[in-house]
Amino acid sequence: MTSFAERPMSSKPNDCLEGGGDGAAPSTGRVFNIQRYSLNDGEGIRTVVFLKGCPLSCPWCSNPESRSSKPQVIRRETKCIHCEVCSWDVAECPSGALELVGTDMTMDELLKEIEKDDVFYRSSGGGVTLSGGEVLTQARFAIELLKRLKRLGYNTAIETTGHGNTALLMEMGKYCDEVLYDLKIMDPETAKKTTGINLQRSLDNFRGLIAQGTHVVPRIPLIPGYTMHAANIQAILDYLSEFDLKEVHLLPFHQFGANKYETFEMEYELKDVPVPTDNEVEAIKALVEARGYKVNVGG
Amino acid sequence: MSTPRIERLKADLFKDKREISLERALLYTESHKQTEGQHTLVRRALATAHILDNVAISIRSDELIAGNRTVKPRAGIMSPEMDPYWLDKELDIFDTRPQDQFHISEEDKKIYREELLPYWTKRSMKDFINSQFPEEIKAATAQKIFSVNQTDKGQGHIIIDFERLLGNGLGALLDELKDHSVKNPDNAFFSAVVILLEASIRHIRRYETLAREMAKTCGDDGRAKELLQIAALSAKIATEKPEDFFEAIQLFWYMNVILQYESNASSLSLGRFDQYMLPFYRASVAKGESPEALKEYLESLWVKTNDVVLLRSTGSAKFFAGFPTGYTILLGGLTANGRSAVNELSTLCLDAYQSIRLPQPNLGVRVNELIDREFLRKTAETVRMGTGIPQIFNDEVVVPAFLNRGVSLEDARDYSVVGCVELSIPGKTYGLHDIAMFNLLKVMELVLDRNKDNTEVTFEQLLSEIRQDIRHYVKLMAEGSNICDIGHRDWAPVPLLSSFISDCIDNGKDITYGGARYNFSGVQGIGIANLSDSLASLKAFVFDEKRATFKEFIEVLESNFEGEKGEQIRARLMNRYDKYGNDIDGVDTYGSDILRFYCKEVEQYANPRGGIFTPGSYTVSAHVPLGAVVGATPDGRHSGDQLADGGLSPMVGKDQKGPTAVLKSVSKLDNYLLSNGSLLNVKFTPSTLEGEQGLNKLADFLRAFMKLKLQHIQFNVLNADTLREAQQRPEDFAGLVVRVAGYSAFFVELSKEIQDDIIRRTAHEL
Repeated sequence: MTSFAERPMSSKPNDCLEGGGDGAAPSTGRVFNIQRYSLNDGEGIRTVVFLKGCPLSCPWCSNPESRSSKPQVIRRETKCIHCEVCSWDVAECPSGALELVGTDMTMDELLKEIEKDDVFYRSSGGGVTLSGGEVLTQARFAIELLKRLKRLGYNTAIETTGHGNTALLMEMGKYCDEVLYDLKIMDPETAKKTTGINLQRSLDNFRGLIAQGTHVVPRIPLIPGYTMHAANIQAILDYLSEFDLKEVHLLPFHQFGANKYETFEMEYELKDVPVPTDNEVEAIKALVEARGYKVNVGG
Repeated sequence: MSTPRIERLKADLFKDKREISLERALLYTESHKQTEGQHTLVRRALATAHILDNVAISIRSDELIAGNRTVKPRAGIMSPEMDPYWLDKELDIFDTRPQDQFHISEEDKKIYREELLPYWTKRSMKDFINSQFPEEIKAATAQKIFSVNQTDKGQGHIIIDFERLLGNGLGALLDELKDHSVKNPDNAFFSAVVILLEASIRHIRRYETLAREMAKTCGDDGRAKELLQIAALSAKIATEKPEDFFEAIQLFWYMNVILQYESNASSLSLGRFDQYMLPFYRASVAKGESPEALKEYLESLWVKTNDVVLLRSTGSAKFFAGFPTGYTILLGGLTANGRSAVNELSTLCLDAYQSIRLPQPNLGVRVNELIDREFLRKTAETVRMGTGIPQIFNDEVVVPAFLNRGVSLEDARDYSVVGCVELSIPGKTYGLHDIAMFNLLKVMELVLDRNKDNTEVTFEQLLSEIRQDIRHYVKLMAEGSNICDIGHRDWAPVPLLSSFISDCIDNGKDITYGGARYNFSGVQGIGIANLSDSLASLKAFVFDEKRATFKEFIEVLESNFEGEKGEQIRARLMNRYDKYGNDIDGVDTYGSDILRFYCKEVEQYANPRGGIFTPGSYTVSAHVPLGAVVGATPDGRHSGDQLADGGLSPMVGKDQKGPTAVLKSVSKLDNYLLSNGSLLNVKFTPSTLEGEQGLNKLADFLRAFMKLKLQHIQFNVLNADTLREAQQRPEDFAGLVVRVAGYSAFFVELSKEIQDDIIRRTAHEL
């Protein structure tokens, strides 16, 4: 059995979706993972900071632990050595099977961790990618962090669905070398029903970033039965045609996140969905390339 | 892709089971019996000359380069003058022992036991060393606190001055030495060198004769023509200096084989091949030789370097699995005036490797701030093939490390590697690079045990006692090493080899008598990863969190975590405390402080040749036998389990933040002090390195490695599944090359234990 429980601590005040862009940055960010030596989320060798909290609920999400804004205690069955009585205390668990997902870090703590790979960023033109969750749920903290990273001369990127406060996203875009922007389901009703996204807002934000000169790279997750069908891909490409963009990333569906659903005792609708075949991916790649884009599979 | 000839040469090398040839031992002994009363140097020279004149020689089919140490490929040879006893003990198990098997016939076993063993009993170097070791050293080596190596075979671990050989030719060198000998008639060293240079010339002429005879009878016009070319070439270079690539390589290879007869030693390494061979390569290109012919010739040489294997004892084979002979080469680097030394031959050496993919020569690349990007990419491309070759060395650390040992700037820029990762100045150093290994973790164990009943013990006190013990045992280790040093002088001087090491001729002395310009004794400190982890866990568990008294804790270790709460305690030690390799200052500092202390102790000692001791940190495959003698440790390691591999690598599975964090942890060690060499294994899986982008990111990663001032790194780009498959179906993976430590070996020829270890090493896949 695997279990998880939300910690009885106050949830962190999010940058609410509709709120204005003039609030002060909170002193801490809630981070659920820091991944060093990441090679696939932007230029060079990177560190990816995963911020916790996401307003959407994409059924294919590979980071389900990122959704809740609250810290959560989980127990990993594979690590558990089954003490006679479980303390349910992360600090006391001998095997580390009990784990706190979501740690509040101050800006300085986070920067200290990020700067550990300074030499790798500088040697490779790499830097830092903020991911989530949805980075917009901690927008003010993220903006402050990105400013500090630019000050250090790092390449910066964020991954977002654009489902959030427009003013904050525009501000964030100013400090990004690259915004990796997810475009998923293009029918507003289906999109709303499946993921909870306000598609119109997301698309307006996409346009807004480009208008202000931010370098935006559209990313299309290829999810069988959800995004990966001809009409949807065509709709995305039609939408993109109004912009002068060079590159599109395709992210084929994978099952790496499947066991996380079990750990979190969450329903996982895509359990039995096979990953796209190479041929299927190639066909879509050809479709996108036919519109003149450079295509990067896997991001 | 290789030519069909190269493919055939390669296949022939591995067709039959390896055998042991008694020839060298018998000829050596035959001569030795007749030279009683003469000077050791002369006796040694006469014995070697006797071998050179009488050993059976062969030119195998398809060979373009002549010179075989044994008629049968990859045969082991014996040197009973060093230690006849282990050979006797293992005669009956060579065929079946777990690591490095060799076949020996019943008849040869009989000859060994009836002729060789009785003669060398009480006459060998081993007898001398055993009689000289004081009890205290014997006790410490029995406890495996340190080991003194090379007590049973030649020293090797040296690079001769190939420029001297190729730039002068044997005739001119003989004239020079005769001149010295005439002027110094009492100097046994000069007499010995003259005997050996003359014998070398005769030996090469034997090949000329053989090639002509074979040409007459071979019945194939094409092959006959090749054999006559070999004959003509051999006739010329027997005395004259070579003028093109073919001549230079042929002379070079003859001398490598000849030196093998003089001292049956590991790692008479090849140094900076792309530098000293360049003029000859360019001469051939200028003559209009086709690039294909030159590449095929180079590939022939690469195949040949796999023919010479070392017969090791079972004990030694555990430490150095896969019988590496260490035809180590470093490419690129710096010129004497500090510019990038990368040239077209550097690239061709990697290309030839990419075609043939055999573990020897053990290629390495020197990186520095000035390295050409294209060559760095070629290096990354070769690394990405996943065979562990080339290994990478960092000029930005190694050059200053040598300056700190009193080496001149120009010599330091000329450094290369002997054996696996041992740093040496080619043609100028007798470094005894593998004279001893020191088990730092064992010292910690002794200190903890000794304090078991000390109720007042503090963490600081334990640290201080560990330092005191290191100081004590380093002294004993140096003493033991010096006895072995003298043993080699009195039993196994190497006058021919010495004649190619500066400044032996000027000094009129063999290297074993202190004739070389640089005289080091290299001693390795092992166990730094487990030591760091253990100290961090011990401090947290006992002294900070007070989860047990010190005595209770030691009892848990003594029980090997078997008691009631044993597994829970072990889980906590393994999982809840910081580990070396994750870029966490607290734990990394324990290791770096103690390793630094070890280095500063080591460098205080002098050897009988007028040189100093220098520290290194690499295990090759010794992390398995050294772990076997250490009980359970506070890092959660079970009694007898292996130590961290490599030397500087984190403990297996404990590096959980990826390779950048590993490099950062290693960068906190004072790598400048490890002037005898260090070793870091990092395992990558191919998917992280695919495509153009992957290649550039790997090249950038190497630049970051350089900037972090690490000394050495090597990669295995393999996934665990491939290796498990290879374990299941070894026959399908006969040619699979993996990196064991400082060298690559055939995976299927390694013992199951070492195979499992390689599989376990963390794969950094994201």
